[in-house]
This record gives sequence, structure tokens and C-alpha cells, in this order.
Amino acid sequence: MKQQSYKSYKFRQKAIPYLFLAPNLIIFATFIIFPAFVGVYYSFTDMTLFTFGTPNYVGLQNYINLFQDEDFLAALKNIISLVVVTVPIIFTTALLISLLLVQPIKGKNFWRAIYYWPVMISPIVVGIIWQWILAGNFGLFNTIIRNLGLAPIETLINPRFAWWSVVFAKVWSRTGYFMIIFMAALLSIPTSLYEAAKVDGASRLQRFWHVTYPALKPARLMVFILLTMEIFKIYPLVVTLTGGGPFEKTEFTVQYIYETAFKSYQIGYSSAMSVIMLLIVTIFTALNFFFQRGGTNT
Amino acid sequence: MKKSHIFLYFIASLLVLIFLSPVIYILASSFKPMNELFSSTPTFFPREFTLDNYVKAIERGNFLRYIGNSFFVATTSTFIAVLINTMSGYALAKFRFKGDTIIIMIILSTIMLPLEVIMVPIFSVLRAFGLYDSLWALIVPAAATPTGIFLMRQYLLTIPDEIIQSARIDGASEWRIFLSIIIPNAKPAIATLAIFSFMWRWNDYIWPLIAISSPEKYTIQLAIANFTGQFGADYSSIIAMSAISMLPMLIVFIIFQKQFVQGTASSGMKG
Repeated sequence: MKQQSYKSYKFRQKAIPYLFLAPNLIIFATFIIFPAFVGVYYSFTDMTLFTFGTPNYVGLQNYINLFQDEDFLAALKNIISLVVVTVPIIFTTALLISLLLVQPIKGKNFWRAIYYWPVMISPIVVGIIWQWILAGNFGLFNTIIRNLGLAPIETLINPRFAWWSVVFAKVWSRTGYFMIIFMAALLSIPTSLYEAAKVDGASRLQRFWHVTYPALKPARLMVFILLTMEIFKIYPLVVTLTGGGPFEKTEFTVQYIYETAFKSYQIGYSSAMSVIMLLIVTIFTALNFFFQRGGTNT
Repeated sequence: MKKSHIFLYFIASLLVLIFLSPVIYILASSFKPMNELFSSTPTFFPREFTLDNYVKAIERGNFLRYIGNSFFVATTSTFIAVLINTMSGYALAKFRFKGDTIIIMIILSTIMLPLEVIMVPIFSVLRAFGLYDSLWALIVPAAATPTGIFLMRQYLLTIPDEIIQSARIDGASEWRIFLSIIIPNAKPAIATLAIFSFMWRWNDYIWPLIAISSPEKYTIQLAIANFTGQFGADYSSIIAMSAISMLPMLIVFIIFQKQFVQGTASSGMKG
């Protein structure tokens, strides 16, 4: 009897960490991991929003259609070019501003707080702000342009400008976030390294390339991965800034997936897009690891 | 002052202009009367000051309702997030058990499954569970965050094991230890997590987009987005709504700036 209760006590002790983890794991399993598998399953079926029974298995048909769907390929091209352009811009501006803020200037907290501010504004409202400034001939932007004696620009009407407006709004709203990550990394570099470099007669630029840049390696990798994931997921900002227009020039994959599912009701087909999208994100992340890890620096 | 220093201050001030003026412009615009909002010669600040846009947003736009929904979702979800993420962080920091690496891998894998990409099957799951068009669909699933778990785990590693051991010897139950030792000792990390969680939920658009259909359950972000998309959208009240929706985050930021900076710096927090 005694033995038994000791055993059940032991069991309870062993069960404790699992019990503490249970709420989180149940939520992850139910609302993230299980749906991901369901999505893979849907992608092989002709499921629509109105299919209530079991959908028909269609094999790879959705995937075959996908690569003949010009709108999907256009959305894919849009998102990949957006990632390729926006990631390096945010990376560089965040790094430059963080370098500025670790210089001996007064009021560091004040500057840092202001640059960080847009990070807290929701992407929906960031879209509204820039739409309000950029849109129309009589928005603030074109008023400034006219006061400078130039011709107004069709900011959100011209596809090319609209695409760059998305880049700009993203840079404006997210630079502050990555600036903080870089600042923390910069401040943790031991000053002795700089002093040694100074003694060796290294110039400012040399010190940056040979001391600062290599020391930033973990932060650089983290910023690259977080940024790439984030740009791939872009959608809310576009909803209020351009709505995906003009001529679908700013329609990116997440919007296309959403509209295929909820406006054209093709669940199976849109799930195939999700699977392709997950693969691309994974490949980009792996490439980041590969290029940043493999290098001459430790 | 050295020349190079003047240059630094110049750049720093220029950046303030870029980062700050758009926000001030939208706030200033929200107090402009109609004729100024759509004037062909707009000014930065209102010439005439009015609260009309806010009145209209409240009277015609059911605006207080959306604010109320957002506030309910953000506070409730934050409370749950703090509780369950601290529990998980505690298990991962202070216990050795079978399968811990697998569990860490599962948690990490959720980072690689962005909500935005798997919206459609999530919608099916919500519908199957009867959570569709309920505010609870925005509260419970979103409360579990991998970043929250790792933030708590990291902090809880710094609590000495001896405190926990001696409480066990005194016969305290594990749950009692969690509530009376772990929670009070983790206050700084909890504050950081709570602030970020509130921001994530307040600014969230994707969960409401997937889960909510009735207008009376709209959160503020969903309301702004849906009104913008309508034909002949009423920009005067949209701008008022946008201006007000920034306010809670602004206040939280001014009070808790330190936690924001630490939270971002330590783990690259991302909801």
C-alpha cells in the first residue's frame, strides 16, 4: 500500500513539467500545427468553402495549376522582389542609425524613443498614415512637391511608385525595431577590442570592418532571418495603403492566398499556395543560415 | 563643439523629422474640419480646430464598441499569455524530463509556420470548434507565443534552484511554488511579456480577419481596414479612429520604454 502511494507520488512528480507545458502545447497543436497538416491535406483536394463532406482527392492537380496561374506567379514575383529590395534597405538603415546612436551624443534615450515610435503603430494604421500623406494631387506629399516647383507625382496610381511606397512605409515602420537589436549588440562589443585596433593604427572604417562588423555576426543573422520572415508575411499594411493595386502590382502572396480562399472560395487551391509559400520561406531561412554561418569569421 | 558632432546632431534631428512628422500629421489632421481635410492647399496643422471627426466616428461608426472589443481582447489574452507562457518557461527552465528537446523543437517549429500563410486551415479549425465569430478565437489561440516562452525560460534560469528546493522540503505543492515563488521572482520578465503581448493583440489584424465576421465584434484594426476598403470610404472618421487607436500604445510606451527596449534587444520579440 505504502509502496503504491510512493509510486503515484513519483508519477505525479514526473508529470509536473508536462502539466505546466500542457496549455501552451495544446494551443500550438490545435491552432498551428494541426492546421498546417490540414492545409497540406487540403492542397491535394478540390475543397471549396462550401464543401462540408470529404473533398475529392485530386493529386497534384492544384500544384500543376499553380504554376500555370499567371496571377499567382505575379504575386510570387512581387513578394520575392519586395524581400530582395526591402530586407537590405531596412538592414542597412537600422545598422547605420544604431551606429549613430552609439556615438558620444547627448539625449540617446530621447532619439532612440523617437526612432522606435513607429514600431508600435499597427500596420493597418501605418497604411492609413502613408495613404493620407501620399495619395492624390492634394495630399501632403504632392503639396510639398508643388511648392518645390515640381510636377505632382501619381504616387499610388502609378504601379511603380505604389510598389516603392510599400517599401518606404515598411522601412519607416520597422527600422526602429532592428535598430534596437543592433544597438544592444554594438554595446556588448568589448571596448578593449577597439583600443587594440586603435593602437595598431586602424582607421575608423578599418575598425568598423575588422572589429565591429565581425562582432555583429549573431545579431546580423538574427536580423536577417526575422526581417525575411516578416517581409514574406506582408499583408495588413498593403490592405490600407494600396489595397493590392494598382493593376495588382502590390498584390503579394498572402493577399492572393486569402482572396483565393475567401473570395473565390477555392480552399484546396489556396492551400497549395500556402504549402509553396512555406517551402520558399524555409528555403530563404536556410540560405540565410548558410551564407551567414559559412564565412571566414568565427 | 566639434564639427563632426554638429553633423551627428544634424542627422539625428533629420531622422526625428522623418520618423515623427507623419504621426503628428495624422493626429493634426484628425482635428481638421471637412473643408480643410479635402482642401487643395492643405496645411500641416489645422487652421480651425474641431472634434467633429471623433463625434462622427462615435455616433455613426460604432467606434467605442470596437475600442471596447480590442481592449477586452488585448487585456484578457495578455493575462492568459503571461500565465501559460510563464508556466511553460518554468517547466523548461527548472525541470529535466523526457522529451524536452522534442518539445523545444515543436515550439520552435511554430515560428516557421506563420499565421498569415496558414490562415485557411486555421479558419476551418476555428469553424469546427465553434470558435468562429467569437472574440475568444482572438484571445486563446494567440496567447501561446514561442517568443513569450523563451523570454520567460531565459529569465527563470536566473532564479536559484535552492529557493525552489527548500520550498519543496517545506512541503509546498508545485502549483503553490509556481504562484508564490516563481511569479513574484519573474516580475521584470512578466512586465516585458505583458507589454508586448498587449501590443501584439491591440495591433493584430490577421486573427480578427480570419475569425470575425459580425460587425459588432470588430476590433479597432479590423474596423479601420474594412471601412477603408468600402466604396466612398469616409476618411474623416477613419483618420479619427486611426489617431485614437495609437493612443493606448503611445501611453504604454511612454511609461514602459525601458521594457520595450530590453524586450526587443534580448530576444527579438515578435508575436
